[in-house]
Amino acid sequence: MPDPIHQFELHPIFRINLGGWDVSFTNAALFMLLAVALTTLFFMMATRSRALVPGRLQSVAEITHDFVANMCRESMGKEGMKFFPFVFALFIFIFVCNMLGMIPGFFTVTSHIIVTAALAVAVFLVVVVVGFAKHGLHFLRLFVPPGVPILVLPLVTLIEVFSFLIRPVSHSVRLFANMLAGHITLKVFGGFVVMLLGAGSFAVLAPLPLLMAVAITALEVLVAFLQAYVFAILTCMYLNDALHPGGH
Amino acid sequence: MSDPPDKHGPASGEMSPQERARFEHRISELGNRLGEARSRRDSEMSAGADAETRGRGMAYGMRMAAELVVAVVVGGGIGWSLDRVLGSRPWLFLVFFLLGFAAGVVNLMRAYERMQRDFTAKGGGIGRSMPDEDE
Repeated sequence: MPDPIHQFELHPIFRINLGGWDVSFTNAALFMLLAVALTTLFFMMATRSRALVPGRLQSVAEITHDFVANMCRESMGKEGMKFFPFVFALFIFIFVCNMLGMIPGFFTVTSHIIVTAALAVAVFLVVVVVGFAKHGLHFLRLFVPPGVPILVLPLVTLIEVFSFLIRPVSHSVRLFANMLAGHITLKVFGGFVVMLLGAGSFAVLAPLPLLMAVAITALEVLVAFLQAYVFAILTCMYLNDALHPGGH
Repeated sequence: MSDPPDKHGPASGEMSPQERARFEHRISELGNRLGEARSRRDSEMSAGADAETRGRGMAYGMRMAAELVVAVVVGGGIGWSLDRVLGSRPWLFLVFFLLGFAAGVVNLMRAYERMQRDFTAKGGGIGRSMPDEDE
C-alpha cells in the first residue's frame, strides 16, 4: 500500500544555507509562492479592464471582494474595514493553498501545522497589539466579564485568560487537522483501490473505494472552501475583541 | 356612424359579450400563470436560503468540534509539562485539564450565542426555525 503520509514530506528544491541556518527552498515554499503568484495574476487580469459593467473575471473578483467585505462589516462594524486587507489576504491565501492541494500530485501547504500556526500567531499578535494600542490597559477588560460575583471572579478571569491564550492553537489546529485528515483519507481510499485491483478475484470490489474516493474528493473541495471561510471569520471575531473589548 | 373608428375595442367599454368573455378568460389565465411563476420563484429563493443556512451551519459545526477538543488537550498538555518540570505530578495536570475543559465550554457557549444572534438576525436558522411564543 502506498504510504499515505508520503505526500506531506518536504523536499528541498535547491539548498540555501544562511549563516548556519538551513533555509532551503522547499516544495512548501514553491507552492506558497505559486499560490501568491496565481492570486496576483488572477486579480491583475480581473481588474485590468476596470469596466463599469464587469465581465466574467471581474465579476468573480468583485464577488470575492464583497464576500470578505461583508464578513468584515458584519462581525466588526464599519471600523473593521481597516482590517479588510489583512482578512482578505488570509482568506485568499488559505483558499488558494487548499484548492491547489486538491490537484493530484500537488503539495498542500496548509496541511503543515507550522504554516497554519504562523498565520494564527500573526492574527493573535495583531489582536494583542491593536487591542493595547487602541485601549491601553482597558483591553484587559476582555478578561473580566461584567456581572460576575466578586467571589468567583478570579476563577472566571483565569478561565477567560486561558481561553484567550489557546485561541491561536485552536485557530491553527482546525485548519491543519482538516486538511491533513482529508488528504490522508483520500490517499487511503485510493490505496484500497490499487490493493483490491492487485488481489485477484477481489478486484470486483475495487469500484467501491473508488466511489468513496470520488465522494470524498467532492467533500474535500467543500472543506477547502469552508476552512478558509472559518479561518477568516474567526480572524474577524478575534479582531472584533481587539476593537471592542468587553463587548461580548 | 356616431363612433369614430378609434373608439372601438376594450378601451371604449363597449365589447361584445363574446369578446368580453374571452378577455376575462385571458386575464384570469394570466393571473394564474403569474401566481405560478411567483410561487416557483419563492420556493427557489427559499431553497437558496436553505443551502446558505446549511453551509453556514456546517462552518459553525466544524468550529465547535475543534473548540472543545483543543481546549482540553492544550490544558492537559500544559499541566502535564508543568508537572514534569516542577515534579508535582499529578496535581497541575488535573488543575489545567479542568481549566481547559472550562475554557472550552466557555468558548463553545460563546460561539453558540453568537451563532444564535447571527441566525436570528437573518431570520430563521438552526435549532430555532420559528419564533418562540414564550419569549
